[in-house]
Amino acid sequence: MTEPLLQITDLQVAFRAGKTDIPAVRGASLTVYPGQTVAIVGESGSGKSTTAHAIIDLLPGTGHVTGGSIVFDGRDITHLKRREREAIRGSQIGLVPQDPMSNLNPLVRVGSQIKESLEANGIAKGKAADKRVVELLEEAGLPDAASRARQFPHEYSGGMRQRALIAMGLAARPKLLIADEPTSALDVTVQKQILDHLETLTADLGVAVLLITHDLGLAAERADHLVVMYKGQVVESGPALQILKNPQHPYSKRLISSAPSLASQRLTSQLRAEVRESSVKTAGEIAAEVVAEDELLGGEVTTAVVEAKNLTKVFKLPGGAPGRSIDFTAVDDVSFRLRRGTTTAIVGESGSGKSTVARMVLDLLEPTSGSVEFDGIDITSLRDKKQQLAFRRRVQPVFQNPYASLDPMYSIYRSIEEPLRTHKIGSDKEREAKIRDLLDKVSLPSAVMRRFPSELSGGQRQRVAIARALALDPEVVILDEAVSALDVLVQAQILTLLNDLQAELGLSYLFITHDLAVVRQIADDVLVMQNGKVVEQATVTEVFDRPREEYTRKLLDAIPGGSIELAS
Amino acid sequence: MWWYVGKRLLQAIPVVLGATLLIYAMVFLQPGDPILALFGEKPVSESVKAQLEAQYNLDQPFIVQWLLFLGGALTGDFGLSYSGQPVADLIGRAFPVTLKLALMALVIEAVLGIIAGFYAGLRRGKLFDSTMLVVSLLVIAVPIFVLGFMLQLVFGVQLQWAPATVGGDASITRLILPATVLGLVSFAYVLRLTRTSVVENLTADHVRTARAKGLSESEVNRRHVLRNSLIPVVTFLGADLGTLMAGAIVTEGIFNIPGIGNLAYQAVLRGEGPTVVSVVTVMVLVYVVMSLLVDLLYAALDPRIRYA
Repeated sequence: MTEPLLQITDLQVAFRAGKTDIPAVRGASLTVYPGQTVAIVGESGSGKSTTAHAIIDLLPGTGHVTGGSIVFDGRDITHLKRREREAIRGSQIGLVPQDPMSNLNPLVRVGSQIKESLEANGIAKGKAADKRVVELLEEAGLPDAASRARQFPHEYSGGMRQRALIAMGLAARPKLLIADEPTSALDVTVQKQILDHLETLTADLGVAVLLITHDLGLAAERADHLVVMYKGQVVESGPALQILKNPQHPYSKRLISSAPSLASQRLTSQLRAEVRESSVKTAGEIAAEVVAEDELLGGEVTTAVVEAKNLTKVFKLPGGAPGRSIDFTAVDDVSFRLRRGTTTAIVGESGSGKSTVARMVLDLLEPTSGSVEFDGIDITSLRDKKQQLAFRRRVQPVFQNPYASLDPMYSIYRSIEEPLRTHKIGSDKEREAKIRDLLDKVSLPSAVMRRFPSELSGGQRQRVAIARALALDPEVVILDEAVSALDVLVQAQILTLLNDLQAELGLSYLFITHDLAVVRQIADDVLVMQNGKVVEQATVTEVFDRPREEYTRKLLDAIPGGSIELAS
Repeated sequence: MWWYVGKRLLQAIPVVLGATLLIYAMVFLQPGDPILALFGEKPVSESVKAQLEAQYNLDQPFIVQWLLFLGGALTGDFGLSYSGQPVADLIGRAFPVTLKLALMALVIEAVLGIIAGFYAGLRRGKLFDSTMLVVSLLVIAVPIFVLGFMLQLVFGVQLQWAPATVGGDASITRLILPATVLGLVSFAYVLRLTRTSVVENLTADHVRTARAKGLSESEVNRRHVLRNSLIPVVTFLGADLGTLMAGAIVTEGIFNIPGIGNLAYQAVLRGEGPTVVSVVTVMVLVYVVMSLLVDLLYAALDPRIRYA
């Protein structure tokens, strides 16, 4: 038996608030052997990142180790002096941080930032270091490394920055690499490339990897050994496949059943069919009623509540010379029908134009050409204020970031009430009753009304955002990455909620996402977009079972953990 | 980039036109007759008065006065002051003095403010930080004329470390006291700005990454914290130099410095339209050029910023 490279025993970490210590990690133990890949899995706030940062003493703010020990390479490194600590960082333990956008100094050339690492660890200096930097960037899979090294971070894409950060973390050839959510900010296909590369690279160099992730599928696919953390404690650890197939702790079981990448394979399409059946029926009844009542918009009951015809959006970007501009086609000839009471998902990577489509359907952005028809009426013809209001009432959005889409100065009550006020609906009493009803629908206690967004969790906020969107009894809800910012468990809850609401209220969803894994749980029709164009358009089962296009297959392959068979 | 510079300079034209028109209107509306004031208690004959009014275009409506001034200014002729000297000469003499004073004040505030702000930021909440915050608050709260007279009395008169007034000889040693007074107020702002910026940058992700690379604390602070923190400070300093060069009426008054501020003040008192407007035009131009330079400097410091 070889000696463990890293052994954490009963680690306790706390953050000081005033005079009291608030524990963040409460007795975490784990072991990493040389060359092994170990993944710590858990939701946000589980203490997984805190544990990782404690190893190299980079705890933010008032965080400090209050107990337990960290032994690295046979040496206790729990409480080191500053110089000893600096000697270990980089050369013994490397870090690949989470967000490639914020982890490079925007003012310093990428090459110089990697060179710093070489110089600080006494590996190379001057010209030799410059040469080594180019080799390292090449090794990290960056094309044209010599000229790229002289560029600034803002000239890199997200994937390229992450490669640069990997080059940086491995520059001094550490024995252990801590990869803290190294790809969660990237598109799935880029994510796969980077992880594949990291895997081969660390295997070649014999570097042990401690992978921190919230994505169970990803962890299971990349790591030999899993450590599941929950509320600052390690609740389960063991070989990856064993945990996936036979989880012992209730939390691990919940994680596995909610992980979209794993669960979506098992979610019966029958369940979705039931939702759809009920929803289409209700939607038909509501539509007949609305059309009969609504004199402003008129229109007729059609099967397609929203129909986009040849939507194209061209943005004019400032060009090189004064007065000149470059045309950038963000959306190119996109057509689709959203059938009443069903869900159409638009899937694509960042820059594919999916959000631009959503904004055009919401009439927040005017298409360059093409049209969006709502109940058979072209929405660009609605130029009268009253007609526009009537349209807005029937189509409501829910956005990605529940932290940014609620006004922090508005109480929850006021946030949900605002659309009702704007549309002058009901008296104060009626509004209050309506808000209570809405909160009940999204499973929030009515006591939440008097609280403010900062007092709620991410999942609760997204529920509030959904309640606000439903306040006007819309027929169509546009969900732009509405579950992407949420932890898996919360994500699963919100998806269930959306399904329930659809069945009950006959809503039609336009579901914009980059994550194919969640599509299966909610969508009926799928549009796959790439570079502004629709590359594939089919029902959800067809897309998953018989993808016709190469690009769709690539997206499907990139779903982490997609290939792992689970005994259910 | 040259297109951007050209565009910015073109924008200066309406600014200068508007500013001069506004000043002309205000001088015109000023109560009292400047010609009568010129003669003080002495009686003035109607013919002399009429002749002088004609010479300075005072008999014209103010729009015409303004247009005549603009016409002259375009050919480099800013007219004569009421004491008969060309205004261009007056400005030519006062401007170098103000420039020297402004640059000295800028150096004092930048060096002291950045160093103190940097260390206060690194030691947030510690004794040095709290002391600096109190000191800067005091400096901001006390009016500049109080500060000016106090320093003049203590260092100029009692201790005699530096000359108490400047007068005709605007040498560096004579300007040291007024430059300190002038720089003190901005020093407080530079300190606070640097401190806030350093505190913010210390928690930036890329600073943590730099630590993870194995860089020592001083390397991290020097290469990643200080440089990134200086961007807003440099922007402030540039704008501040513009303000300082437009003259410091109070400080120049206290220390009797023959600078732009003093010149403008005297001209306003005498109701000398052409002098006031000429000085203001120069100030506006200085401001426009300074703010352009600040924006260009900003792009030089931050590679993400490009002007088109």
